Amino acid sequence: MTTSEAAPLPRENMGQPLARVDGRLKVMGRANYPADIPVNNLAHGLLVASGIARGRVQELHLDEAHAVKGVLDILTHDHIRGELEPPEFGTSGSSSIGPLHDDKIWHDGQIIALVIAETIEAAREAAMRITVDYKEEQPSTSFGSEGTETVAASEVSQQFKEDVKAGDFETAFDAAEVKIDVEYGMPTHHHNPIEMFSTTAYWQGEELTVHEPTQNVYGWKVEIARQLKIEPDRVRVISPYIGGAFGSKGPITPRTAIVALAARRLGRPVRCVVTRSQSFTTQTYRAETRHHIQMAAARDGRITAFKHEGWEVTSRPDPYVVGGTKTTGRLYNYGSVLTKVFLVKTDRPTPSYMRAPAETPYIYALENAMDEMAVALNMDPVEFRRVNDASQDAIEGKPFSSRSLMQCYDEAASEFGWSKRNPQVGSMRDGDWLIGMGCATAVHPANVAPCAVRITLRDDGHARVQTASHEIGTGVQTVAAQLAAEHLGLHPSMVQVEMGDTRLPPAPVTGGSSTTASVCSAIIKACEEIREKLARAAVTANDGPLAGRDPASVLLKNGRLVAADASQALKDVFKHVGSGVIEQYTEFRPDGASPDAVSNLYQGKMEMVSGEKGDMIKYAFGAEFVEVRIHRRTREIRVPRVVGAFSGGRIMNTRTARSQLMGGMIWGISSALHEATEFDWRSARVVNRDLQDYLVPVNADIQDVKVILVPETDTHVNLAGVKGLGELGNVGTAAAIASAVHHATGKRIRELPIRIDNLLG
Amino acid sequence: MLPFDYERASTVREALAACAGSSEMPPTGAPSQFIAGGTNMSDYMRLGVTRPSHLMDINLIQDASLRTIEIGSLEIRLGALVRMSEVEDHQEISRRCPMLPESLKVAASRQIRNMATLAGNVLQRTRCEYFREISWPCNKRNPGSGCSAMDGFNRQHAVLGVSDACIATYHGDFAQALIALDATVEIAGQGANRRIRFAELHLQPGDNPEVETVLRPDEMITAIVISVPGWAARSKYLKIRDRESYAFALASTAVALDLDGDIVRDVRIGLGGVASVPWRAVPAEDVLRGKIFSEDLASKAADAAFANAKPREHNAFKVALGKQTLVRALMEVREMKL
Amino acid sequence: MTGTASPAIHISGAAALQDETRSPVPSTQREGLTVSMLINGQPYQFNIDSRTSLLDLLRDHAGLTGTKKGCDHGQCGACTVLTDGRRTLSCMSFAAMNDGWEITTIEGLSSADGDLHPMQQAFIDHDAFQCGYCTPGQILSAVACVEEGHAESDADIREYMSGNLCRCAAYPNIVAAVKQARNEMEKA
Repeated sequence: MTTSEAAPLPRENMGQPLARVDGRLKVMGRANYPADIPVNNLAHGLLVASGIARGRVQELHLDEAHAVKGVLDILTHDHIRGELEPPEFGTSGSSSIGPLHDDKIWHDGQIIALVIAETIEAAREAAMRITVDYKEEQPSTSFGSEGTETVAASEVSQQFKEDVKAGDFETAFDAAEVKIDVEYGMPTHHHNPIEMFSTTAYWQGEELTVHEPTQNVYGWKVEIARQLKIEPDRVRVISPYIGGAFGSKGPITPRTAIVALAARRLGRPVRCVVTRSQSFTTQTYRAETRHHIQMAAARDGRITAFKHEGWEVTSRPDPYVVGGTKTTGRLYNYGSVLTKVFLVKTDRPTPSYMRAPAETPYIYALENAMDEMAVALNMDPVEFRRVNDASQDAIEGKPFSSRSLMQCYDEAASEFGWSKRNPQVGSMRDGDWLIGMGCATAVHPANVAPCAVRITLRDDGHARVQTASHEIGTGVQTVAAQLAAEHLGLHPSMVQVEMGDTRLPPAPVTGGSSTTASVCSAIIKACEEIREKLARAAVTANDGPLAGRDPASVLLKNGRLVAADASQALKDVFKHVGSGVIEQYTEFRPDGASPDAVSNLYQGKMEMVSGEKGDMIKYAFGAEFVEVRIHRRTREIRVPRVVGAFSGGRIMNTRTARSQLMGGMIWGISSALHEATEFDWRSARVVNRDLQDYLVPVNADIQDVKVILVPETDTHVNLAGVKGLGELGNVGTAAAIASAVHHATGKRIRELPIRIDNLLG
Repeated sequence: MLPFDYERASTVREALAACAGSSEMPPTGAPSQFIAGGTNMSDYMRLGVTRPSHLMDINLIQDASLRTIEIGSLEIRLGALVRMSEVEDHQEISRRCPMLPESLKVAASRQIRNMATLAGNVLQRTRCEYFREISWPCNKRNPGSGCSAMDGFNRQHAVLGVSDACIATYHGDFAQALIALDATVEIAGQGANRRIRFAELHLQPGDNPEVETVLRPDEMITAIVISVPGWAARSKYLKIRDRESYAFALASTAVALDLDGDIVRDVRIGLGGVASVPWRAVPAEDVLRGKIFSEDLASKAADAAFANAKPREHNAFKVALGKQTLVRALMEVREMKL
Repeated sequence: MTGTASPAIHISGAAALQDETRSPVPSTQREGLTVSMLINGQPYQFNIDSRTSLLDLLRDHAGLTGTKKGCDHGQCGACTVLTDGRRTLSCMSFAAMNDGWEITTIEGLSSADGDLHPMQQAFIDHDAFQCGYCTPGQILSAVACVEEGHAESDADIREYMSGNLCRCAAYPNIVAAVKQARNEMEKA
């Protein structure tokens, strides 16, 4: 293959489009995901889930289930009580709800039993034969349901301590010439990675091994140990390949420790695969949000006042908050800002993070409002953003470490052909199809976290990179191999990468788009330390071509240590070192992290240095343009074209970067047009609990998706200069589609998803 | 899933004999069930919706006619075990009557169409979310327990042919083409064989939504026979859904139009995604037949088709969408260059 | 297969699929059912529960975990295999119904010496996956898509690959990969 759209030519400050190092295993079906690991004497577990959302389990009738041939054990709350510490909400845990810890039902589909059997068929049969008597109470589903409790997020959350504000919003709003006052809504989303959630647990003496897809092996190890009341060192968590995560495998859910307990009771390995339908209630989700935005501007387009109130659904016991106002409040050069975030407590599971948890809903609302304001001002939406582009943030006046937003707009607009858009609503048509075009800003904080890595370099030029990070599909293994190869002067094929195992040095949770920045910074640091060791040995040697040189001047290239006019083969340099191998353990602690940050990582506690922390605001930006086509009669919406331009600091690999951003934009299409978890409001239960009714796009929904990587150099963000792209792509897309739908039809749909229902008539 | 005995039949008689004795209605609740493609049966068994104790695999019945597509000058005969994808790819059927293969091509996915048989496809059961998840009350699954969809989330549900007991949609596509063409179903029975109009196969829910067809437990569809008029070349199947593929219809229509200049000599209309059973829009056909075709007339026909619609809270849009789908299909069929 | 319009009766369909190896079993069974099949060219015999799906048989009994479970209800395509060359969903088929059939899984697609099938190579070249979980199903579906002749246009590929969900959303790259492999498969 010579050229491919999949492998963009690197521009300034971009790495080569190396093909994925795990590609061969994956296309051959030999990449073992956790539920693929062969285990001897395996017993099969199946969850039983509640059919009500609130109340108590009065009685579980288990006799028929126990009588099923092959059934080994059935765990209910009678067995868990006292055996397991209840789960905790916070660091690594998804929720404080201990589903089997007592008889209380907190939400629909809560785990009420775990059946263990010799075969999956017997487990299914037994689960089907269990009947339950409930004492049912009236549950609250969502906003507007009776019995909910609304609280200010800043008063109850440990993570969200204040609502950002600046200047005098009220005065500025009252005085302004052009104003909008609008409300938006985003529904519940479920991650639905195609890999099903699963736990495989077995004990060897007092040692527990857990195979489970996770984005946080170290955090889980510590939490599993805490729940099982054993030392963390006795727990090993292994997760080398993860079949899609998107946040769903970040926080640990209570099932893991329950399955581990079942394996201990039984004295044999247990594998529990969560059914697709159960994953809608026993795993986490993106909670629905409501937004109220008031915005005012002068006639020249300058925003003088911006107010953003958000309401987020959470569970009864846990104050989970995404609080995207911290980003929306800083995005443009507003004259004044007022924000407030509220939590609405309902009888639902605790939500958790899902791809750009804060930005996806909050920027959706803001960027819709930006489009509405541009229309109100009769301004081009791109120019409106240009007028309000900022060099410092509106809240604290900190400079942006780099901000290429308008470069992104200009490159994307040019590629898209924005100048050919007739701004008149309903003016563009192709036969029976109404054409609409819209655009929106994408933004995501450039987060970074502490990370430890071990790099082993052999004198024959083979290297191994070990860190307990997670390959969820982002390409981090590929980027790690590529970067280590570059810094060690080796071909990438000489570098082996090992991840996803608590026997490796700790890496942070793979979340917040921080993995590439964190892992790469650690690798760069480790490689530099290796180079220094080799250089020092070579220059201080009594003989050899590099003797007497300045150690800072020699670099590793093509398997050699190289100075300006002389070089030495690695093999010979190692003779000066006096060993055949250098094993370099290195800890990377980002600026702004506490001195204990790395030792905390070992304790399963992570400190993420967020994009707002420090003297500068560190954000990645993008601009997305979409074309929609809507049939004039039947109103189905198609998206023939999407163009996104993104700046993310150093791009490590243009191929994997493009794929992540492309996938992100398709997620954006999905959130705009397809996805919504629907509830039966009488019972607070999920109705569309499978992939037949929870729609995600299929191949035919997606046509031309173009990604432009805009060059950007940022030396402030972290050692690697990386901002992270995993969550940037799906921010903004839904707003761009909503604005395109308005352009095509004149209808402003403020509640997602936008469906035929909204556009008929 | 509960345990079941698995058996293979080598003849139709053998298959039917195994199901004799389980004569209670409805056949969907009978302890003995036939399985062929398995795409509906295995799904509903795993969900616990269907709980047979005996499965009779009919894939290996020796009678080749069950696996045969016969193209006659007037009739197309499709064996019950012919796979959906075989008709979908059939050039001659496509030439004679495009809406037949089109209705198959837009159903499910190619993998499923390679497995599913034509007879199994027309007998597929509703995809109502409340029917599929057994923890909900459902009159169709558990007679007398109530209908959860009626006042629940009912965006997917039917607006035509519904009752106070059930508003589940019949989601099939192929059936809409069959009912439009007034196809015939050949049925083998323990007692005698019979032929019925396809339009008589399915039963509206009424007070007994658990009874879905006129088939008895010891009967089996052996073939679908379609008289294809020459003018059926001017036909199409239009399906509108939330995503472009691999989704059930929000509204669909099978339309065939016989034009003499601008005069509608004859017309056939099936409607999918909006009704409790395969749905022939006879009132709409009556509006069109014998008149000069126009967009206005097409709109009047669409109004007639949905005159008796009974929308609920979330599916009211299906009335407007169903009408627009029909008008669009009629307009597009008229424009077809033959 | 088909003829032109004439009074003659033309016969097509799967009638020819019948053969001796697929004879009916006389007695009814629910446990210890013996099933034989050819998987990736190797003969296998299993003793199974009548409820065992083809997918669970492949993964848990044959140890071929390249075939993935993504929904177990025919809604994602991750479990796609080739059954006598045609793509099917292994989760929706009882294993017993596959007695005597020839199954191809992802493990059987590359040659024994490790040479990749053109479709596998194309998926690598075009970065047609991220997490890789849906990939075995995508690749088998894509091979069948080309062999069916449904890979002639981008629109056709998109439609006929729509039975395989990719939550990472590598769809445009999958289309590019299918086109590359189609050209190579047609040359071969």
